Amino acid sequence: MEVISQNAVYFAVVAVIMILLFAWAYFTKRIQKDFITMTWVLIPVAIAINLTIGQIVLVLKLPVYLDSIGTVLVGVICGPWAGALTGALSNIIAGIILDPGWFPWFPVAAAIGATAGVMANIGYFKNWWKVVVTGFVIAVVATVVGTPISIAIFGGISASGSSIITAFLLETGRSLVGAVLTTNFIAEPLDKIATSLLAFAIIDGLSARYLSRFPRGENAAVEKGQKQTQMIIALVVVVLLILFGIFILPSLTAG
Amino acid sequence: MNLNRSFFVPVNSPLHNLNPLTKLALVFSMILPAFLSLPQLAPFLAIPILIAVFIGRVQKQYFNLLLKLVLPTILFMFVMQSLFLPGGETVILNLGIFDVTRESMQSAFYTVSRIFVMISSFAILLLTTHPSELMSDLTRRGLPGQFAYVIISTLQILPQMQAKAQTIIAAQRSRGLDTESSFRKRIGSLVPLVGPLVFGSLVEVEERAIAIEARGFTSKRIKTSLHEIPDPAFDKILRGILVILVIASFVLNLWLS
Repeated sequence: MEVISQNAVYFAVVAVIMILLFAWAYFTKRIQKDFITMTWVLIPVAIAINLTIGQIVLVLKLPVYLDSIGTVLVGVICGPWAGALTGALSNIIAGIILDPGWFPWFPVAAAIGATAGVMANIGYFKNWWKVVVTGFVIAVVATVVGTPISIAIFGGISASGSSIITAFLLETGRSLVGAVLTTNFIAEPLDKIATSLLAFAIIDGLSARYLSRFPRGENAAVEKGQKQTQMIIALVVVVLLILFGIFILPSLTAG
Repeated sequence: MNLNRSFFVPVNSPLHNLNPLTKLALVFSMILPAFLSLPQLAPFLAIPILIAVFIGRVQKQYFNLLLKLVLPTILFMFVMQSLFLPGGETVILNLGIFDVTRESMQSAFYTVSRIFVMISSFAILLLTTHPSELMSDLTRRGLPGQFAYVIISTLQILPQMQAKAQTIIAAQRSRGLDTESSFRKRIGSLVPLVGPLVFGSLVEVEERAIAIEARGFTSKRIKTSLHEIPDPAFDKILRGILVILVIASFVLNLWLS
């Protein structure tokens, strides 16, 4: 039972930090600026996009989820707070209509939307290779947020297919935290990079007039460059990031 | 593959007639002790859950849900966790390289019963409360109306978008789009399916924004509701008792440790 009280402290600290951050953004009017009527109307559509594309991907039997394209989209063109709200409500809706087991994962979805928004604010959603970096950062954040939830609520091994990897890593003698962290790190980047690239492709297809109606439309102004060099840079970045991951993970999870 | 249903079962029962907030309080008075204050108690919380199912007269739908959603999940988790969770000395069962220890089995049992309590209590809430009823009650109590708008309009948009997705899949298949063969072809077919769906629904956003703006969406005035949700004294007392019970469980937890 010791593990549970440790988790309670961890979650309490995170909750207090989030509330302080929210209060700061609320009283400096950062939140109100992002939530105009267009944002409120886009959020339901984005949630519907999340769930419907998630279902299409199931039909196509692809090895990714792609169930947060709408969340990333809102995060980029309406700011991090709107993205976080979209992610959280997206999981709540999935809990209402698909399976209540979705509820506890809402902080992960919220973190995905918030990270997409923050990365877009610092200009990392403007061309292909920057979007790949954003996707990787989102995956890292999703891993960090998702691992404690996975351990505290689902005991580390949940009913998803990637639990097989966790079980394998546990059998090779890793600690529970290390095994879950590594599993998420293996499963997340591909999904989140693909999600970000698809969201970027959607934004690329929208007109500048349409984007300018949203509070952070300028985040999505696509830098026109030579596509071929960009693709090469993107590939190099991906390879470097994966090497970085392989290099850094063993030392992270050794404990 | 079915997105256009909520779990709600329209029958008349004492649980259906409770105020939505009271039912939400019931859910959290199950989950908080199960996960935080009294984790050892989680398996016994199945008893109040079963009683609630029969009071709410949703047995058929609940056990249906249990068989389809909850049982496969928790059985898989139970088996995997008792096989692979590290730690524990007392070996009960030896299957080649895997050891099932008493400790890992115990911890798996508690985790699984907590998941059962969580999913079941939310399922009972959703089976006996329509989402729009819950949202309008929370809005009346001070939740910004925009949240209710997001939840309810998503529930309305989803079936439409689902139908649109089916139409697009059928249309692209009739043009010869490959959605069943090799991996590369299936990835390639993602774009012609997702593109029309997303752009089609994003175009509607602007029109809808103008429409709800014209109906006073951002107005700060208090809005009246067509559909009043009763909140009798019994509900208020019940909520008070639940809050006291939850606080008592935390006190008990501190006292025991």
